[in-house]
Amino acid sequence: MPSDLSVRAPALPVLRLPGLDALARLLRQVGPAALLFLTILVVWEGVTRAGFVSPLILPAPSDVAATFVAAAPRLFTHLGWTSMAALGGFVLGNTMGFALAVVFVHLRLGRLTALPLAMMAQAVPIVAVAPALLLWLGNGVEPKLFIASFLVFFPMLVNAMRGLSSADDQVAELLHTLSADWKQRLLMVRLPAALPFVFNALRLSACGCFVASVVAEWVASTTGLGYVIVFASSQYRMTEVWCAVLLCTAASLCVYGLVCLAERLAMPWRRERPATA
Amino acid sequence: MARLQDTPPRGGIDIRDLSMTYRRGREVTQALSACSLTIPEGGWASLIGASGCGKSTLLRILADIVQPSGGSAMLSGMTPAEARATRGFALVSQQSVLLPWRRMLENVELGLEVARADKAERRKRAEEAIELVGLRGFERAYPHELSGGMRQRAAIARALTLRPRFLLMDEPFGALDELTRASLNFELLRILEETSATLLLVTHSIAEAIILSDVVAVMSPRPGRIVHQLEIGFGHHRTDAMRDDPAFAAYEAELRHALHGDPGVTRQPIRQPAFA
Repeated sequence: MPSDLSVRAPALPVLRLPGLDALARLLRQVGPAALLFLTILVVWEGVTRAGFVSPLILPAPSDVAATFVAAAPRLFTHLGWTSMAALGGFVLGNTMGFALAVVFVHLRLGRLTALPLAMMAQAVPIVAVAPALLLWLGNGVEPKLFIASFLVFFPMLVNAMRGLSSADDQVAELLHTLSADWKQRLLMVRLPAALPFVFNALRLSACGCFVASVVAEWVASTTGLGYVIVFASSQYRMTEVWCAVLLCTAASLCVYGLVCLAERLAMPWRRERPATA
Repeated sequence: MARLQDTPPRGGIDIRDLSMTYRRGREVTQALSACSLTIPEGGWASLIGASGCGKSTLLRILADIVQPSGGSAMLSGMTPAEARATRGFALVSQQSVLLPWRRMLENVELGLEVARADKAERRKRAEEAIELVGLRGFERAYPHELSGGMRQRAAIARALTLRPRFLLMDEPFGALDELTRASLNFELLRILEETSATLLLVTHSIAEAIILSDVVAVMSPRPGRIVHQLEIGFGHHRTDAMRDDPAFAAYEAELRHALHGDPGVTRQPIRQPAFA
């Protein structure tokens, strides 16, 4: 997984009830980023139009847009395949990571036996193993799903385990003096305490699952944006490559935004809190 | 008025020869040594002593959080483990330990929720307790929206919902400023009068110990032992005026001497307060 995944994506506009006040706040929040983005686009367009750079190396944004319009139906079909693998992996990997974290937090034996194995599995360069995976699972959607969930699984496992045991000793003592059983402790303390950690993992994997899916398609596939990128670049159709890249970026940003929205809805007690939260 | 007795009424707290040793590698720390204390049912007792003298340890043994190395502690004839199983006591600690994701009302309801009380009962008792601690109107606030004093009131309300026979309080007002602390001391008195619970309070404030107790036990620095016990003769209907009573100053002086380990602790008999 590329290391730049840990960099936070630009803040998305926050959903609020319609109103002028909200609009102004929204502009203040996203205005600077949007301005920078537009400037980059304009400079890019200018540089390529003026002929400083060969269109093979860097096509003009307007050309990319034209290709996008022309190839839209085909691109979106491929996006569908990529998203299916990415989102399937997102759900599968995160669910498994979280479920295993709950087990590990409660069972010392499980932690001792399976956690080192999970650690080791994380160290496997999954992209390098991809050819073997394709041999085992075929070149359909399955290996992509596997790779995406594999990459998503570990951050969730580690974060959820930390989150589930993040409530301090005093809370544990309180629940102890109240004679709470482990189920009550899980529901009343561990799960709510884990939420911020879980959402950290989800935000990381929102982009990670698309990367995983595209890389898997890259290795061997006849569908998906990864395939489009490899195939189009082999024919030097750079505008199409850029279309696929931008489409993939937009899709992972959408998922990221949805995760952020879910985070706000799931933790109302953090919403009114000052900036430190 | 409660008195020190050799054999306490069955409903009280009975601590006998309690000792506690912590082992950490080869290092052995004796936290408590042969502590004995009896508190009759409905009595109010305080433990004072320098920090680290083991007074919190004693409370944590009663709350079944740690196990003593020797001796016994009984709450109304039950071991701490049995008392915990029947939810016979409630522990209030210095940090209010409210769950940040629960609104104040939900935090107060926590104990009853764990005890699987039904919803209507839970709500009713929580509202009573909130009324009693004077937090009406803040039911929907999250803990971070409350002041330190209000958080502590909420923690006390949570403790009261289970109608405990024993209130174990570990420096409950230690993190609060002096003014809030003084006003909460008298609030707690009012609450104690209404609930008839037996109180064991750990504090490092001499004044607080006098205001809130029938008996003040002074502990020596490590290993913690109870070196002095002082009966406070103010009865159970106390007002702010008790602070101005000459007896209050005398109690204060005696406890101060006992804390500093003066040999001649009980030099003069203390004149009993006028209105006791």
